[in-house]
Amino acid sequence: MAYGIDALNIYAGVAHITVADLFAGRELDPSRLANLAMREKSVGLPVEDSVTNAVNAARPILEALSPADRESIELLVTATESGVDLSKTVASYVHRYLELPRNCRVFETKQACYAATGAVQLATGYLASQASPGAKALVIATDVALVDERAQYAEPATGHGAVAILLGEDPDILAVDHGAFGCYSHEVLDSARPTPTFDIADVDTSLFTYLDGLAASYDDYCDRVAEVDFTTTFGHLAFHTPFAGLVRAAHRKLMRERTRTPADKIDADFDDRVAPSLIYPASTGNLCSGSVYLALASLLDHVDISAPTRVGLYSYGSGCSAEFFSGLVTPRSVRRMAEFEVGRRLRERTRLDYDEYLQLLSSARTVLEPRADHIVDVEPYRHLFTHRRSPFLAYTGSRHHHRQYRWY
Amino acid sequence: MSTLSEPSTELILAAVREAVVTVVPEVAPELVAPGRTLTELGCNSIDRAEIVTIAMERLRITVPIGDFAEVGDIASLVDVLHRHHP
Repeated sequence: MAYGIDALNIYAGVAHITVADLFAGRELDPSRLANLAMREKSVGLPVEDSVTNAVNAARPILEALSPADRESIELLVTATESGVDLSKTVASYVHRYLELPRNCRVFETKQACYAATGAVQLATGYLASQASPGAKALVIATDVALVDERAQYAEPATGHGAVAILLGEDPDILAVDHGAFGCYSHEVLDSARPTPTFDIADVDTSLFTYLDGLAASYDDYCDRVAEVDFTTTFGHLAFHTPFAGLVRAAHRKLMRERTRTPADKIDADFDDRVAPSLIYPASTGNLCSGSVYLALASLLDHVDISAPTRVGLYSYGSGCSAEFFSGLVTPRSVRRMAEFEVGRRLRERTRLDYDEYLQLLSSARTVLEPRADHIVDVEPYRHLFTHRRSPFLAYTGSRHHHRQYRWY
Repeated sequence: MSTLSEPSTELILAAVREAVVTVVPEVAPELVAPGRTLTELGCNSIDRAEIVTIAMERLRITVPIGDFAEVGDIASLVDVLHRHHP
């Protein structure tokens, strides 16, 4: 029996700014746009946090399940670097607003942009153990952006949103290859979020550790799996995407160092096996640990899969932990992914101009700041989400540190 | 300007030069010299990360990332790689 991702949905906000508009507003060097290879950045509202993003991503998956299947969700894990409390988890709020069963394990994982993959791997192994036959697990990677002009070129690349991943047996989206993985971890400070209101990053170190982690985790994968050939084992590739330009470099690195592909063939291989995975990430920005699964969704929505195809996935989280793993997708994966209409929902986001972006940013950047009693006025933002076809959960403030939410 | 004091550093410099030319083929190899910086040679942040990882691969060494904090020009990059070279 295969285990893995049975349903996958993306929530990437209701608003965006084009990267070109942000570059112009911040007076960033336009010659670096090509290197970044990003088109749009999802923008959070002051009524959105890691809880609302998670719930708004997962609700469409749950609505498509039968009551019996909903009751079989025995594990809920939120993976986030946008926690709302040092003790109480995002998952606890998500469990309430998704109305999940009470006989459900609920907790949170943290390892920067790797956290969701750690949870996916452990949950898949748990399901495969048959400790609870027929059980399903829900892993939700959810984050908000805190960056402003101080982040310079990282600001246009940082997104806002969540990726909901339902795991189960005989999965529709991705059958995770059992035992086929490679890991690489060591302590480093390449980027971090020392407080709830700002990030720090060392760009050169972060790029180095991302690329180094890819080569090392891929080598560990090759040590565990027989006869791996980077050019032929994987029909497609989906990588964690801090910005699309870095994934091109990562692919080029493995092609140069682990294959004998002539230099003039590397770009064609990238266009064929990798580029379809970057279409959604290039229009949202980095969704942290959901990013590699956003890349998988993009791949499934933009390639023709006519037979079972192995996908190589690379997950990297600062700090750092890296994993290269794989799974099989089929024509059924493409049909199931299409049900969630990710492309349509990205196109429906409202485009903000630079001044509108700045007005939102000052409030949205403080959404994780702990406040005992606080009211968020939803009215100024209602026009941005009330036209959506599905219900929208909004953050409305806090009472005695208990965060408050309301459906619209 | 920094100087290279030991003959074996020439081997390290050759690996760095080879890595630079692999990543940025338009750079003339003779420009990859101790007093220059990778930024001066037109390398962006991704290029620099690729060059360092390729040089490490070719020299078969692993350098703790923190050691690169002191790197300014090509001479200091060669010095750091040389410290970890058997």
